Amino acid sequence: MGTQSEMPGRRTLSRMVVTTLLVVFSAAFVVPFVWLLSTSLKPIEQTLSLPVSFVPKAYYASLGGTRMEVTMDFQVSKAGAVVRFLSGEGAGTLGYLGPEQLAAQSASVVVVHPVAGGWWHVTQRIDRRLGEGGPRPLWDVLPREQIDSHVKFRWENYPRALAAIGGDAESDRHRVGFMTFLGNSLTVAILGVLGTVISNAMVAYGFARLRWRGRDAFFALTLATMMVPFPVLMVPLYGVFKALGLIGTLLPLWLPTWFGSAFNIFLMRQFFRTIPEELSEAARIDGCSEWRIFWRIILPLSTPVLVVAALFHFIFVWNDFLGPLLYLTRKDTYTLALALESYQTQNGGVQWHYLMAASAVTILPVIILFLLAQKTFIRGIATAGLKG
Amino acid sequence: MTRSERKRLRSGIGFTSLWIVGLAAFTAYPVVASLYYSFCDYSILKSPVWCGLENYHQLVRDDLFWKSLRNTLFYAGLSVPLGTVVALGLAVLLNCEVRGRSIYRLLFFMPSIVPAVASAMLWLWIFNGEYGLMNGFLNPILAPFGLHAPTWLADPAWSKPALVIMSLWGTGNAMVIYLAGLQNVPGELYDAAAIDGASAWQRFCHVTLPVIAPVVAFNAIMAIISAMQLFAQAYIMSEAANGNGNASDGNPARSTLFYTIYLFSTAFQDLRMGYASAMAYILFLVTALLTWMAARLSRSRHGDAI
Amino acid sequence: MPRMTRRAFRLLPVLLAVALTAPAGGQEPQGQPRVHVTYWEKWVSFEAQAMQQVIDAFNRSQDRITVDYYSTSLVDRKTLVATAGGDPPDVAGLNAQNVATFADAGVIQPLDDFIRGDGTSDKEWLARYYPIYARICSHGGHVYAGISTPAVMALYWNKTLFREAGLDPDRPPRTLAEFNDYSRRLTKRDPKTGRLTQVGFLPQDPGWWPWIFCRWFGGSLFDGRRITFATDPRNVAAFEWIQSFTKFYGLEDVKLLSSEFGPWASPAAPFFTGKIAMVFQGVFYDNYIRQYKPGLDYGVGPWPEAVPGVRDFAMAEADVLTIPVGARHPREAWAFIKYINSCNPNARTRGELRGAELLDYLQVKASPLQVWSPFFAEHNPHPHIDIMRRLSASPDAVCIPDLGIWQEYFREVISAFDRVRLLDATPEEALGYSQARLEKSWDRYRRSLERHGQWSALGEVAP
Repeated sequence: MGTQSEMPGRRTLSRMVVTTLLVVFSAAFVVPFVWLLSTSLKPIEQTLSLPVSFVPKAYYASLGGTRMEVTMDFQVSKAGAVVRFLSGEGAGTLGYLGPEQLAAQSASVVVVHPVAGGWWHVTQRIDRRLGEGGPRPLWDVLPREQIDSHVKFRWENYPRALAAIGGDAESDRHRVGFMTFLGNSLTVAILGVLGTVISNAMVAYGFARLRWRGRDAFFALTLATMMVPFPVLMVPLYGVFKALGLIGTLLPLWLPTWFGSAFNIFLMRQFFRTIPEELSEAARIDGCSEWRIFWRIILPLSTPVLVVAALFHFIFVWNDFLGPLLYLTRKDTYTLALALESYQTQNGGVQWHYLMAASAVTILPVIILFLLAQKTFIRGIATAGLKG
Repeated sequence: MTRSERKRLRSGIGFTSLWIVGLAAFTAYPVVASLYYSFCDYSILKSPVWCGLENYHQLVRDDLFWKSLRNTLFYAGLSVPLGTVVALGLAVLLNCEVRGRSIYRLLFFMPSIVPAVASAMLWLWIFNGEYGLMNGFLNPILAPFGLHAPTWLADPAWSKPALVIMSLWGTGNAMVIYLAGLQNVPGELYDAAAIDGASAWQRFCHVTLPVIAPVVAFNAIMAIISAMQLFAQAYIMSEAANGNGNASDGNPARSTLFYTIYLFSTAFQDLRMGYASAMAYILFLVTALLTWMAARLSRSRHGDAI
Repeated sequence: MPRMTRRAFRLLPVLLAVALTAPAGGQEPQGQPRVHVTYWEKWVSFEAQAMQQVIDAFNRSQDRITVDYYSTSLVDRKTLVATAGGDPPDVAGLNAQNVATFADAGVIQPLDDFIRGDGTSDKEWLARYYPIYARICSHGGHVYAGISTPAVMALYWNKTLFREAGLDPDRPPRTLAEFNDYSRRLTKRDPKTGRLTQVGFLPQDPGWWPWIFCRWFGGSLFDGRRITFATDPRNVAAFEWIQSFTKFYGLEDVKLLSSEFGPWASPAAPFFTGKIAMVFQGVFYDNYIRQYKPGLDYGVGPWPEAVPGVRDFAMAEADVLTIPVGARHPREAWAFIKYINSCNPNARTRGELRGAELLDYLQVKASPLQVWSPFFAEHNPHPHIDIMRRLSASPDAVCIPDLGIWQEYFREVISAFDRVRLLDATPEEALGYSQARLEKSWDRYRRSLERHGQWSALGEVAP
């Protein structure tokens, strides 16, 4: 917080400095998102071109008398010519020759038009699948002025990326649809949130609002379990789930949440303790059972902490990669996180525009959730971090 | 026990019953089983056979174990201090009275909730040696000096720094905590310092820092614990950067072979679960030590935090 | 109206009963639903399509089993994980190098019981294959796999370059000495710069199986009990031979030349662009030549004689079909594997091909079975099928050793190979280093097998 004793001029200066820094840093934090969106809206050839650009474009030129969309492939460095071969294997076809080759083969070619240095080789842009056949695209070498361009967002990348995320539509008989992955993620998230909220509220109530023998020792034990890193639990848990025949299903990802988690117990207990004891006392005097007090009085008052716990868990599930990697063996049970990761390993080369589109779709629900519940989020994190 | 004590005990156990089951099945049993497995030759396809300290002996002589430890410490050693400085710096900036604070706060925080997989994909692309944004930005700057930007994830020397940079993008989390901490600094302290004629910098060093030091230390320790368990991003990025198949080797040249990744691959690819359990227990000991230190710090600040 | 309705109601249960129990038109009588067998396989594109055709034929040929093909990347790792988790596929398409390791680890189950259940003995079953493939399918005296795609390696040479060097293009080198001589004569340098423009042979191209040179020289990698990588002098001789190439060409010159090589599956591959005159490649290589360098004038022949008296040395490997432990439908899985490992020995037309021959016909490979139908033998699409058949049948064919730690051994061989060919170490040093590490590893592995009571069951294994 600023103080009152600075001179007005200095305060303005420092405010300008701060604002500038904030603008610069926030730009740095935002740029990756912009790059994500920009790549997802580009055609494949523009993702693999230098220098890097943010704006997806469409280029047009006149080939063979018709105006059509083209890709800008490369610039020729030296003057030469577009020629038609008169003899040999490629008789009748067009080609581009540099100056030395032109001189050498001048007898066996006919010059269609000369080319100056710096001109661009362009090819007709046909929206084809990889490996699909068809007529060979037209091409030419033209000066930059003869090529028009304007901004064009390739929104079609999104449905295509989502269609391909579970397997190539053409060759994969067992491809899984995007909605299946989404459904799996949602299943785990919703069942997990329910389990988290219900089970931890009950347990936290037991620790916070009731006095009983061994409570504090038990709670200390609960806290102690927070320092057990997951890798320690990983192998035996896997064995437990295997014995139950649950490997390959979604259950290991949400079932444990119905049995409490130390962090959420701690969080909720903190909150429950802030509710005045008099409310409970009054209800007890009226003859209410503990369960009714819990259900009717405490829970309704606890919406803030329940929402925070729910949000945190949702984010955790959406983010979780190790869990699905461990427990899910069949593609049709994959969550979005795992599907996205395996999308990247399928096919030969990575198709960045599709991968970015798929990533953007994965990020979107979380961003929306965040924008709707900003304050809760931030307050929740601050509480957790401060209270330690 | 008196009747009312018994009644209250029943109540307490009733409410915590789910957790009792959960604790036993999903925490207590695995912790004990893991310890047992760490002394056994165990692949989940064959029953465990006791082999004493052999796993631990082998660990000590395993150069990959030490490499993974070094990689992990290197990563934690870079990402935690840098992350703390960045988060604290941003928090200090946000603490000033300027317009539009909440928008900046939003922008800084958003990356920290992006799912790890999506974030890894994005940064994989940003760090692409040829067409990525990072080199698209750096190469024009370096070219006049005759230098070339590194290939990041394909270069063993730069793969960990790339991961560190990626982790800095996600410091919004810590920033929010520090911001709250800064806002809890009592205004009177600043006033008193101002009266004594302290400059802004001096105020920062002598008022702000001491007050938030425990918060920073606590969160730094938590960050170290979390950095030691880095998995998803490293797994994905090393797999992608080096063609299919070798995610768990921490390519290139095992530079991104982190502790948890080596553990995971030992357990679930080599099926040497006893060995992996030994590694897990070593991690447990280190984490426990760090957590204990963090708890001491927290307690010293709050008095009785619990 | 009411009366009709009441009567209708009374008839209703009868109608329902009839409707539910009577088979619908077109269904199999006694509607036993088909068993679905999950089959995980690594192939994509035309190899996958070929297998899909064979699967369709299998599904059509009987009404009990439907095989579902799942294209799976990293299939060996995924099979391991799925089996460990108790949710494996019924058939896993692995590679020969996985058999020993997975069998020892309890990931795949022995097929002996299935074989015996059909009324044959293991020996009789294995007799259908060429001996080398029978070895690939076995581990520790049990059968663990069936063959899906066999591959055998031969010598490929560039006839044009032979002509230019004044060598008979139809006569490949027959002995090791001739091979070395041809290699020298096929090496060319640019007269102005002295840089290499062409070499006769380069051990690192393709460099996928550097261990084969040890076996070619008559060395053994594993004697059934102990690692013999460094202890067998013939292995050292092989590595000296490997190093001799770098010494002959010059290390920097080789590096410069290598930097011009394109990927092996592209028109810029060194064999295709005439930078290397001779390579050892597999039966599948002809497909790639056809795709990337259709005009190439090349020949295919047997390995030159390195050990006196061993005429038809060859290396064989294969993709295999296995049944993971815990598979839900092992019997049906076995029925499918059996189908893929049988053929119609009397096929005289393309339409009569079955099983292994149909698959190998479509994938343009040789068949691992000893008996070939007339159509497959005479109308095979592979241009050099006769050589491939001869080498498959050769008693001197070799495959990887039956060793549980083979994958690690393989990595050590590659590492020693790189050090030796880059002149970073002498053969003795490199082999000795790897030998030490492998001995420790093997020791530990064997102790683990002993602990689980598996070592004595393994018995002596063939090197």
